[in-house]
Amino acid sequence: MRPYSINQIKYIKKNIMNINFSDEDLAFRDEVREWLSNDYPQHVREKTEKGITISKEDLIDFHKALSKKGWMGYNWPVEFGGTGWSASKLYIFNKELGLAGCPPILPFGVGMVGPVIYTFGNDEQKERFLPDILEFNTWWCQGYSEPGSGSDLASLKTKAVLRNDLDEDYYVVNGSKTWTTLAQNADWIFCLVRTDNSGIKQEGISFLLIDMKSPGIEVKPIITIDGDHEVNSVFFTDVKVPAKNLIGEEGKGWTYAKFLLAHERFGIAGVGASMRSLNRLKEIISKLDNDDLQRKANELEVALSAIEITELRLLSALENGGHPGAESSILKIKGTEMQQALSELFVEASGEYALMYPGPHGYENNDKPAGPDFAAEGLSAFLNMRKTSIYGGSNEIQKNILSKFVLGV
Amino acid sequence: MNLNYSDEQVMLREQIQKFCETEYDFYKREDIVKSDDDFDSNVWNLFAEQGWLSMPFSEQSGGLGFGPIELSILFEEFGKALVIEPYLSTVVLAGSLLDNSTFSAKNDLIEQICSGELHISLAYAEAGKGYDYLTPNTSIDKKGLLNGTKTLVLNGANSDKLIVACNRDNIFNLIILDTKTDGVSLNSFSTVDGQSCSEISFENVQLDETNIIASGDEAISLIKDSLNLATLCVSAEAVGCMESCYLKTLQYTKDREQFGQPISSFQVLQHRMVDMFIESELAKSLLIKAMLEVNNRSDDMYKHVSALKSYIGTSGKLSAKEAVQLHGGMGVSEEMMIGHYLKKMISIDALFGNADYHLKQSGK
Repeated sequence: MRPYSINQIKYIKKNIMNINFSDEDLAFRDEVREWLSNDYPQHVREKTEKGITISKEDLIDFHKALSKKGWMGYNWPVEFGGTGWSASKLYIFNKELGLAGCPPILPFGVGMVGPVIYTFGNDEQKERFLPDILEFNTWWCQGYSEPGSGSDLASLKTKAVLRNDLDEDYYVVNGSKTWTTLAQNADWIFCLVRTDNSGIKQEGISFLLIDMKSPGIEVKPIITIDGDHEVNSVFFTDVKVPAKNLIGEEGKGWTYAKFLLAHERFGIAGVGASMRSLNRLKEIISKLDNDDLQRKANELEVALSAIEITELRLLSALENGGHPGAESSILKIKGTEMQQALSELFVEASGEYALMYPGPHGYENNDKPAGPDFAAEGLSAFLNMRKTSIYGGSNEIQKNILSKFVLGV
Repeated sequence: MNLNYSDEQVMLREQIQKFCETEYDFYKREDIVKSDDDFDSNVWNLFAEQGWLSMPFSEQSGGLGFGPIELSILFEEFGKALVIEPYLSTVVLAGSLLDNSTFSAKNDLIEQICSGELHISLAYAEAGKGYDYLTPNTSIDKKGLLNGTKTLVLNGANSDKLIVACNRDNIFNLIILDTKTDGVSLNSFSTVDGQSCSEISFENVQLDETNIIASGDEAISLIKDSLNLATLCVSAEAVGCMESCYLKTLQYTKDREQFGQPISSFQVLQHRMVDMFIESELAKSLLIKAMLEVNNRSDDMYKHVSALKSYIGTSGKLSAKEAVQLHGGMGVSEEMMIGHYLKKMISIDALFGNADYHLKQSGK
């Protein structure tokens, strides 16, 4: 008998592989759907369904509604007021909200700074900041990128110098941050600042929370190619920041920043929202009798299914005791390519009416000057979506990460 | 939800890997390809001894009762080692069709397949019909005479028996006959990936009711399921090829030095290999989905197999072409294994509907 006989393993009777969710998870999915049909603010739903850009107030209403249900801390452990959801519930939650067309949950508070505060902050900081994040009383923004520090983030130069005046410890901050999303609405900004220049660049970085109302802060809009005002430059001139706003230890900011990047693992592929776009596209294309568009839609559907199952494989590995590796970089790359491809196909489906420029907010009340109803619907999204392969560590940086951690080169 | 393989499934994969490493390396494969025979009968007997030929058959028919998941594991590993033995034609295409049928002689036939004595081929394709296998021109007339020509019959030259898709009174039929029957003539040739294939003509071949496996809807559903399972298997084979293309290319670029450093240190190559890795993972995801749908016999199983087949047709060829390019001149050398993956991918894409065809099917 050679060593590779399979006769002795004929006791494979029961395959354990199963792509379906448990009854408990399905009941949870129904609960999310129920919330979406009853408690998701109607005026927000109407706007997103018509493709009208939603206002700051709409976004606040949406987040407050989630908070009221107790779902704001969707990714937090129970001890800090979060839901303590399993990976599969988290996945279902993200997917259902995306399928329903909800705006993305603003990540800066609950997704980013919150986990840093409850992991590395002191008790006073937890009490001071966490409840307001969960109730969406404070709007956070992210101060990472600088004009000279994009992919090479650790080269950042915004300087914070520790001073003491009348027994008060504080930092004086000078420098500038850029691409700061929705800084015009923000109450607070979490910043990576340089507190030391003597060692290697990663070691002199600290993580500082700054009140946007502090004297010396100036926010200037950057208008993107879709015509919208979403991102900003933020300038700091002798801004006084109490030393108690430092998270953890001085010089450890880079460690916290990396923790933060690894924390937002789920929903990164945007599968639910992409499925919604794809369904809408298929509906439009089915009426056009155009084989070329149909072929492209089919290709995207197959690729989206591959992305979804890849995310489920990661989730299944997590739930069965495995550790996620650099695979989340796959989801970032392919998920954002998918969002871009879908938005591009919307524009292509408009044919010659892709000429019409609807401005950053779409046509009010669907009042289009010409063409079919869906015409030009996707143009703003197409232009806006170009950012997705650039932000959050550009897709090229993600490939560097995969080269290092998967290829080992 | 659980997308992890069971311990037994992992063990199965390890056994097949062990076999491929010790008994079926690239030099052994080259010897078989260059020999006068289309496959190695010693290897085939070994397959029988190890129980591999019994894998997919139900226990009532004397098989091990494994399903599409275990077949996918087997074919993934076959893909990595570029195995050319005629498992697909005898066991999957013909064997699974018989196993699912109500044909009276099926138990004897399956027993002979399991023991390695019998080779059977499924003659499903005809010239000029494209990927439509359900409206054959080959037909049986009122006198019970079979006339027509089937094309691209895998392993036809070595098969003792043939299952032929044909028409009788405009009804789709599946019949079985001995290859040596009067009026059957073969024209055999080699395929791009080292297998053998035949064009088979039938001229007034006398049949009777004992030759008929199934007719009408039953026959259609039998051949659809057999081809669907075979499509899943070759897709799994492609997924194995894609993983090997990525891993072998990575190793080659780490070993190969130019400009005083391993060429894997160049970012332009790193990103291309990352793309190969990503494509390989996405293809694995679609394989898992498709094999589970086939295992559950869900309504959507054909659609998911089509999605997988279209994906590996495109991205599998791309990976193999990238592997050849990154191997430089070695990539186009016959003596290197890497170029043979490209030939395998060409062959897999051509079988049972190419990427374009299945992309359309997946959207239906």
